Amino acid sequence: MKSTKFTPVTKLSKEEVDRKWWEIGDFFRRNSLWMLMYCTGCCAIELPPAMTSAYDMERLGMGPMATPRQADILLVSGYLSLKTLRRLIYTYEQMSEPRFVVALGSCPINGGIYHDSHAVINQLDQYIPVDVYVAGCMPNTESVMNGFVDLMIKIKNKTAVGWKNYHKNFEWYKENQLNSLGEVVVHDEFHQ
Amino acid sequence: MKQMKLFLGPQHPGMHGNASVHMFVDGDIIKKSYLLPGMLHRGFEKQMERKLWVQNISLIPRVCVPEPDINEMAFAQGVEKLLNLEVPERAHWIRMIILEMARISSHLMSYGGLGGPTGNYTIMYHAHADRNSMLDIFEKITGARVYHQYIVIGGVRQDLPKGIEKDLHEFMDSLESRIEEYRDLGVNNPSIIVRVKDTIMLPEEVVWELGVTGIGMRSAVNKPYDLRKVLPYARYDQVEFDVPVSDYSDARSRLDIKLKELIQSIRIIRQCFEKMPEGPVRVKPGRGQSMRWTVPKGYAYSPVESSRGEFGYYVVSNGGTHPYRVGVRGASYPQGLLGIEKYLPGTRIDDAALWVDTMGVCSPEIDR
Amino acid sequence: MMNSTNNLDFVKEFVNSKVQVLKTESVDKQQLAFEVNQNDVHLLLSSLKSAGWIQMSYLSAIDWIEENKFEMVYVLFNWDKPVYIQVRAKIDRENPVMDSILPIFPGAKYYEREVHEFFGIAFPGNPDYKKQLILEGWDDIPPMRKDFDPKVYSDRKFPKREYPQDFSVTDPKNNSKAKREAREVRATSLRGGKKQ
Repeated sequence: MKSTKFTPVTKLSKEEVDRKWWEIGDFFRRNSLWMLMYCTGCCAIELPPAMTSAYDMERLGMGPMATPRQADILLVSGYLSLKTLRRLIYTYEQMSEPRFVVALGSCPINGGIYHDSHAVINQLDQYIPVDVYVAGCMPNTESVMNGFVDLMIKIKNKTAVGWKNYHKNFEWYKENQLNSLGEVVVHDEFHQ
Repeated sequence: MKQMKLFLGPQHPGMHGNASVHMFVDGDIIKKSYLLPGMLHRGFEKQMERKLWVQNISLIPRVCVPEPDINEMAFAQGVEKLLNLEVPERAHWIRMIILEMARISSHLMSYGGLGGPTGNYTIMYHAHADRNSMLDIFEKITGARVYHQYIVIGGVRQDLPKGIEKDLHEFMDSLESRIEEYRDLGVNNPSIIVRVKDTIMLPEEVVWELGVTGIGMRSAVNKPYDLRKVLPYARYDQVEFDVPVSDYSDARSRLDIKLKELIQSIRIIRQCFEKMPEGPVRVKPGRGQSMRWTVPKGYAYSPVESSRGEFGYYVVSNGGTHPYRVGVRGASYPQGLLGIEKYLPGTRIDDAALWVDTMGVCSPEIDR
Repeated sequence: MMNSTNNLDFVKEFVNSKVQVLKTESVDKQQLAFEVNQNDVHLLLSSLKSAGWIQMSYLSAIDWIEENKFEMVYVLFNWDKPVYIQVRAKIDRENPVMDSILPIFPGAKYYEREVHEFFGIAFPGNPDYKKQLILEGWDDIPPMRKDFDPKVYSDRKFPKREYPQDFSVTDPKNNSKAKREAREVRATSLRGGKKQ
């Protein structure tokens, strides 16, 4: 007769233990995301109202961070010119994993109002994996906060896997970067 | 001693905008420095040649991001000079209200920008809360928070909505009653005085050598050299206001001048509401369909006084439906590029970020 | 306050006495434009500077591709006698060389560097006018010239996003005109054959 008080627990495999730790980690990660302070383009004007007391970002658990090595989110605010893209790829590769990218504005989607310009890239997805897009020109601060909440839901559903795709398709991303930029190395009088 | 290379790069919490300052330092003193612009370059001048005169309204505000109305004003004024067009009376007064509101929001943003270089973030919170209320008022008038596209060739796009006078007066009363608080937080704050007093002094010869305009010039030369008084455009000669100057040109007196200009802008807006007549607000610059409007041949330079200095557009027309060449004179071009190269060596590393903030270097204007 | 017509006459006399002027335009009540020869630019600018026009506001170039010439533009201002003066001079397009005005106005250093990068004009006398300022690693002709097409460059180098349906509003088969005429014929027949 089987006793009902004590049923022996089957031994869990290594993958299941990992998965449970990742779930706990995702819970803490999505409730305390830290954002890198980098104003790359014009949509960055809508960030100070989000960071300060007008539409407070800290009630979602987010805060600003100065160095890329300790930040979770890379916020691409607006269009990207060629010079900025080279430095952005440096910054993206310095962030530690798991890392997420949020693109503001309609310029990273398909070029926006600068689609026929000789100095602005048209589609950010070819160079860096993007998790959440926020459309608008320029998007309202409430839309930006909405984008952050969408990112948190995506982390909860385990679909924010941009950083894993970067490892899987590394050669494809590098080939696109070299085609458009020429070279990713920064050439000025310092980085010789 | 060996010199070390250092760059105050684009990704930095104290940097005002997306430009980097490259320095060779010896200990704490800068020996050689220059600014690296170009990270916000979009090719505006080339793109403006490919669009019609009317279509440029959507491209123009994006040249200078914190204060987009001066772009529209300078372009519209330049084209009206070529067309010899007379704008209706009410449109002049509405343009003045919009320009002064933009000046208030830009001064609030650069005063709050002290928080980054000095690490004193309380100022940023107060200033951006006020700026947010101003952006909400802009949304009621023009329909958008940041890029308004409201001042067009021939006047203003539509009339002011009802009830906007009450909102603006409420905002201005609350801001005026709190100017003393701003003064205590910034200019009279002992922990900021240490950084800001007697640093970044600008003598008079340097001003004429570099070509600096705006607050930097007025604090060094001690004369009211302001384009609104010297070459008045859009009915500035019918309102009374003062132009604050100072005789001691360090960073602290420049911040003081910014607060005084805020009070003068509030005074101008109040007088505009009293003196504004009724009437139409827009006149068409040509007959027929707007896609076929042409502008006669000519070369015109139209300057506007922005919160950072003299901001000008150079418009060249060939008699066709597209502009032939549009050139932009950014107000922070001399103080950003030349000032950092000639004037920053000899000061300390922490003064570099303060120069960028108090002299009002706005990087989208330099790169276009 | 200053008498503006007095100032304009003073400027016209002053400039005409120094150099030979090809064209004069008065753009506004307080703005004058003069077109001079390329060799007279230095003399005119230095004499204007000693007469009080000490602020240089703008320096740039315009590309007249049909006449095969570039045109240099200098804009000066004086705060005590407020008149804007535009000085223009045409130079050759095949071999564009213009003497630098760095000894007169030291603030022209970066303006000339940018004009070289975007138009290809050489400025001997300016020590580092060849260094790139705004573009980085540029591999095509100077972008502000009229024979450079930015859309072709952008389509070649930066791939665009492909959409599943065709969202374009252009009409390559030109069907809209035929449809509009057919619609008008139908409308007049419904109204009884008379055109309104």
